[in-house]
Amino acid sequence: MTPNALVVGELHDGHLAASTLEVIGVARALAGGAVAGLVLGAGAKAAASEFGRFGVPEAYALDDPHLDAAPAGARAAPVAATAREVGASLLLTASTTAGRDLLGRLAVAWDAAVATGVTEATAFEGGVRVRRPVFGGRATETIRLEGSRVAIATRPHAFAAVAESPVPCVVHEVPAPVLSEAYTAPQRTGVAVTARGAGPSLTDASIVVSGGRGVRAPENFRLVEELAASLGAAVGASRAVTDAGWRPTSFQVGQTGRAVSPQLYIAVGISGAIQHIVGMVSSRVIVAINSDASAPIFRVADYGIVGDLFQIVPALTAEVRRVRGA
Amino acid sequence: MEIVVCVKPVPDAETRLRATSDGTRLDPEGVKFVLAGYDESAVEQALLLKESIAGSRVHVVAFGPAPRTEEVLRATIALGADQATWVDSGADAGAEPVRAARAIAGAIASAPHDLVLCGKQANDDESGLVPAALGELLRVPEFSCVVDLRWDSATSRFRFQRPIETGVESWSAPAPLVVGLQQAWNDPRTAKLPAILKSRKAAIGKVAAASASSESRVVAERFELPPPRTGAKLIEYKTPEDAAQQLVRILREEAKVFP
Ligand SMILES: Cc1cc2nc3c(=O)[nH]c(=O)nc-3n(C[C@H](O)[C@H](O)[C@H](O)COP(=O)(O)OP(=O)(O)OC[C@H]3O[C@@H](n4cnc5c(N)ncnc54)[C@H](O)[C@@H]3O)c2cc1C
Ligand SMILES: Nc1ncnc2c1ncn2[C@@H]1O[C@H](COP(=O)(O)O)[C@@H](O)[C@H]1O
Repeated sequence: MTPNALVVGELHDGHLAASTLEVIGVARALAGGAVAGLVLGAGAKAAASEFGRFGVPEAYALDDPHLDAAPAGARAAPVAATAREVGASLLLTASTTAGRDLLGRLAVAWDAAVATGVTEATAFEGGVRVRRPVFGGRATETIRLEGSRVAIATRPHAFAAVAESPVPCVVHEVPAPVLSEAYTAPQRTGVAVTARGAGPSLTDASIVVSGGRGVRAPENFRLVEELAASLGAAVGASRAVTDAGWRPTSFQVGQTGRAVSPQLYIAVGISGAIQHIVGMVSSRVIVAINSDASAPIFRVADYGIVGDLFQIVPALTAEVRRVRGA
Repeated sequence: MEIVVCVKPVPDAETRLRATSDGTRLDPEGVKFVLAGYDESAVEQALLLKESIAGSRVHVVAFGPAPRTEEVLRATIALGADQATWVDSGADAGAEPVRAARAIAGAIASAPHDLVLCGKQANDDESGLVPAALGELLRVPEFSCVVDLRWDSATSRFRFQRPIETGVESWSAPAPLVVGLQQAWNDPRTAKLPAILKSRKAAIGKVAAASASSESRVVAERFELPPPRTGAKLIEYKTPEDAAQQLVRILREEAKVFP
């Protein structure tokens, strides 16, 4: 197995995304040889040189705004071609929506052994051994990815971001792919940036505070939001809340909403239906605040407060503000 | 419209998971297998589209071993699917997602497919790889995390939305298309008893899985269950302020989740 690795980065406001910095760290730990970076889409060329700040001396950029509004499949051929050019045996990206789409494509287009949602990875002679949560965090599997081409997508927050260690970075341009009609026919007709508070986005946040039907009315949801703000957390909601229209569906955590795995998840007035649990059970620490001691949420939580959220949550917000000196 | 739905038999959410005695994988002994959660939505969405577009058919395809795969296919016939194809995985449990995608693509490539509906991810492996791999194998564009999937007959295009990390995208695309569905218009329907009884006699097409030609391999090594969650440590308190102080101290000093 040739030891080179290729990191496929994602852009966030024109810069390498936080999850990409985690991927670079994993790549540097696993690769026996050189690590190269690749970014695609509008602004790729400017962002590619940022790889140098994190110790990656070589980067590839496919600066083509059309790719941002093309189906994910349009990226497979140029990514596979770049992997061949750098002689990569290992390709890494973040296990985001785009990352998972890319890996499914590369399993075929690059004929690789692939795994998504990876939380631990070690190299061995002949491949990479990974651990990943399965069954909504109820179990963990260890699998060996064997062969001369392996691609993994690492779960956001599972690895530390790589420290800065600047080196000069050479940026190569990758030619835009010639797309068949199948890939030019779909049209992206709109993008609505997720409605969210001032805090971080639900899937990026290291702390998430979610409210459920227990908050009783849309105006009371501000209690949840104030607690989130005091913690620098993102705000989530159960489906009871989004179905009632108290908050947009983009806030929904669970089977039909978003899956989150922050360091800390605080469930406020949420009963803990299985469809909610599967979206948050792999959080590192779970706290539940609920007036009903028999609510199923207490079975998955690490810490619980049985009590009236209208009393507990304001006290908690005040205490967090106090210890943070804000 | 010819709608293909890919469904995977997965352990029921209530099942107690156990590893095999060698510890490498899930022990299927005594496990009740059901339609994966997102696949239930995919079947529901297929039936809703069929009901709204004249001359449509729903063809359900599953890759896996006996008897669970056939049972899950019968359940979709009871719900209203017109045709079912079982791609037999043999002794292999059929769990490895890319192998599943190759087997499914082999079975449906020559069957009509304007829309291939998958769940966004299977409840067991949660890999989310099959829709994209199927798209690549069939050379068709694929979209994951799809909601509000509609067929616009005036323009002969699908219209749908994708709530992804950065926001909600709206798309329009002609057939054929592979979709990883996040949510159907409705919660999934349940089958009526007469339909369930009738489905027991329904014919299910069986095909052998094409042999894999890839040199890469995925090998299961260990399947671990976390120590059972013993339930929350409940904070005993006198006043809300007391509860708040205790929790914040625990989160900072014990759980170390914030400074
Ligand atoms: C196909 C399908 C998909 C679904 N997908 C999702 C999903 O993605 N996400 C999701 O969340 N749900 C989903 N659901 C819905 C899920 O089954 C539950 O109905 C939902 O999660 C309940 O929301 P809740 O916990 O806020 O409300 P409830 O179950 O009504 O719970 C409210 C809780 O608040 C507590 N409470 C009330 N007053 C107070 C107070 N003053 N102080 C403290 N606590 C209080 C109560 O004790 C109770 O436990 C789905 C359902 C189906 C059928
Ligand atoms: N063995 C299988 N048979 C049929 N469909 C499958 C199979 N495995 C996965 N799928 C489909 O692909 C989706 C995503 O699965 P996965 O990529 O394994 O998370 C599922 O929701 C199914 O629709």
